[in-house]
Amino acid sequence: MRAGNAGPARPRSGGVRARRVGALLTTLAACSLLAARPADAASCRSTTHSRTTTDATTAAADAGGNRLTSTVHEVWSLVSDVSELRPGDVVTLVRQMRAGARDARVAREGRQAASRVAADSQAPAAAHPGVPAQAIPPAGPGGLTVDLGTLDRPTLLESRLRPLTELPASEVRVTVPGGEARLGDFRLAADQTLAGPLLVVRGDADIYGRLHGNLVTLNGDAIVHPGAVVTGDVLALRGEVRDLGGEITGEIRTLGAPLTTAGAERGETPAGTRALGRIAGVLGLFLTAAALGLGLVVFGRRNLEIVSDTITHSFGRAFLTGLVGQLLLVPTFGMLVVGLVLSVVGILLLPFAIVIYGLLAVIGIVGGYLAVAHAMGETYTRRRLARGDLTTANSARYLMLGLGALFALWAAWAAFGWVPVAGDLIQLAAVLVTWLLGTVGFGAALLSRAGLREQFAGRLIPPEALTDEYLWATPQFGVPAVRRPGAPTTPGARTPTHGPERR
Amino acid sequence: MSARRPARAAAALALLGLASASPAARPAALAAQTLRTFTVARQLHGETRLVTRLDYAAGTLRVRPGAAGDLYRMEVTYDEQRFRPVSAYDAPSGTATLGLAPLGGSGLRPPADPTTPQLARLDLSPTADLALDLTLGAVEGDIELGGLHVTSLAVSTGASRTVLHFSAPNAARCSSATFNSGAAELVVVGLGNSRCDAISFEGGMGRATLDFSGAWSASARVAARMRVGELTLRLPRSVGVRLTLDKFLSTFRPAGLTARGTTYESANYATAARRLDLALTTAVGSIKVEWVD
Repeated sequence: MRAGNAGPARPRSGGVRARRVGALLTTLAACSLLAARPADAASCRSTTHSRTTTDATTAAADAGGNRLTSTVHEVWSLVSDVSELRPGDVVTLVRQMRAGARDARVAREGRQAASRVAADSQAPAAAHPGVPAQAIPPAGPGGLTVDLGTLDRPTLLESRLRPLTELPASEVRVTVPGGEARLGDFRLAADQTLAGPLLVVRGDADIYGRLHGNLVTLNGDAIVHPGAVVTGDVLALRGEVRDLGGEITGEIRTLGAPLTTAGAERGETPAGTRALGRIAGVLGLFLTAAALGLGLVVFGRRNLEIVSDTITHSFGRAFLTGLVGQLLLVPTFGMLVVGLVLSVVGILLLPFAIVIYGLLAVIGIVGGYLAVAHAMGETYTRRRLARGDLTTANSARYLMLGLGALFALWAAWAAFGWVPVAGDLIQLAAVLVTWLLGTVGFGAALLSRAGLREQFAGRLIPPEALTDEYLWATPQFGVPAVRRPGAPTTPGARTPTHGPERR
Repeated sequence: MSARRPARAAAALALLGLASASPAARPAALAAQTLRTFTVARQLHGETRLVTRLDYAAGTLRVRPGAAGDLYRMEVTYDEQRFRPVSAYDAPSGTATLGLAPLGGSGLRPPADPTTPQLARLDLSPTADLALDLTLGAVEGDIELGGLHVTSLAVSTGASRTVLHFSAPNAARCSSATFNSGAAELVVVGLGNSRCDAISFEGGMGRATLDFSGAWSASARVAARMRVGELTLRLPRSVGVRLTLDKFLSTFRPAGLTARGTTYESANYATAARRLDLALTTAVGSIKVEWVD
């Protein structure tokens, strides 16, 4: 009976796969170096096998001693794991291998394999790698003191004990009231009895005898062997409780090591992949808008130009109209529906009216947005023409230039949207700019009746501009009249006076 | 002036590159979310009765009959930034308090990550008498109680979707079964196997299905109240059914039942060895009756 690591079946995450592959590669490399020594090679075979197969299959393979089968199985497992790797997993794998990180699971499985090879349960437990088994001295005044009388809050206890896992062995100090603390592997022999709570840090606790009190292990397993008795709770922090047939009168608790520590390791799409996806999305939208816009240029250039001119000449008016239009979009729709529902004919027309209304709204918004792009491109192109940088211009060029400018912000968001704060700001700016220009375009489309009305497009030339008379006519204002010869030098009154004194 | 443009563009690109290469700018580091596993179990040392209080806030829940040597066992994978495991056992009363409680109270917390769902599995002793009190929050539950010794049952669900089965006859006599469903979907299958003398259901909003199929060993009384939603009753033909209805703005299709005022009876009610008396109260919604063999 195992109390730990037997959670519900979960799909393997990328991080887990990467760790498995890393562990397998490391183990296979070590085994290839030890291949000349049969005993070590056998141990390696057992070790690697335990990572990929169940205990039952391991036992069967070991019993058969079929080394070829085992090797083929290892290679197949490796190929299977590698085939499931994604680009993000490879990054994780490289990072882990570079850092030399070995997670607790690999270490635990290594210890399981070592203990399996040891075979004899009465033999001394294998030493915990790198940690000499010793008693932990009590902490001084103000030092770490943990009460193991109640283990109801394992997460709290773990947070208090966590510093012990990072200190050098010689500096580990902790006081367990009424009990004792051990560092490294600990074994309570079958003929031994221990009273009081026991804390084992960075090692396994092998209990063969009687423990009157709670047992807590940190970064190690609690192994209760047949015949052993623990009259208290057993808690394994970042380890397992392995009940091999002993008696535990209290609670058996296991708080496993964190399964994932970062979004990338829990299967989240890496930032690069997300950026590529967003860039592809923005590019797709750009191409769609370009196709629609070019279609509009070909089949409705006059309407497009009128809406575009309306934007240029009546920007503020178009924005206000678009704003009001957005606010009235839904109420107008409601009124339309209610109005149609009141009559039998209207009810019949209702589905068509809904479709047409939606279509008109979409045309107004999308067409207006394209007209904004057209207007932006036209303004920029005319400036270049004025400078002599360009010699030709057409609506298609205007549109593509404008769309490029409009989508530049979204492209920036697609590429750098994952950057904290800055990414959000770029997205906010893109949304605001898009909304603002979309509102202007929608308003211009409303003002110009989708390009049928030129009233606000600045195309109505005043009558006096239709003649060149203004080039030669005497200005009526602003030019002083020539003084007549012999006239008095002092100026008279500007306002004509009417009265007998003038006479 | 034009010669400066490439230099400025290169500088801007370099800045963006630096920003993108900065480890502190990695969203993965900000979005770190940790799942942990917690297991709690208790060996069976002659206990004959267990009161189980499970309060599970969010995630997926499975309840199953456990191994003979265990009194109970709960395995849970949880988001340690949002929840903490709960496990306590009171030996004198034989009460186990288990579950997953939300961390903290007020303040802003990141939303739950849908890619890291919480999972819990609760195994219960197949030999001890069980008094179950299950409180489920935003949970997708799959509860199998068939074959256990359930002496009383209380299930309260929030915004959940829960299916509760009595696939096999209850091994003990059950005094009462209470279901309280919030804005949820609750399906109870095999109530005939529950061997409960009294069954009550109270639904807030949503849909509920009460399936009374199974091996009926005694008559039972059922009180059901549905405020807003749809209540489906699956009734076995072998059991005599009497249904008393109190409805406000609800529709009721008494298929196969004969109306006598506000009471509806099946044809075999007077002669049936096992009888099911249902008292229904509904406000807004519908009640459907389906017959099962």
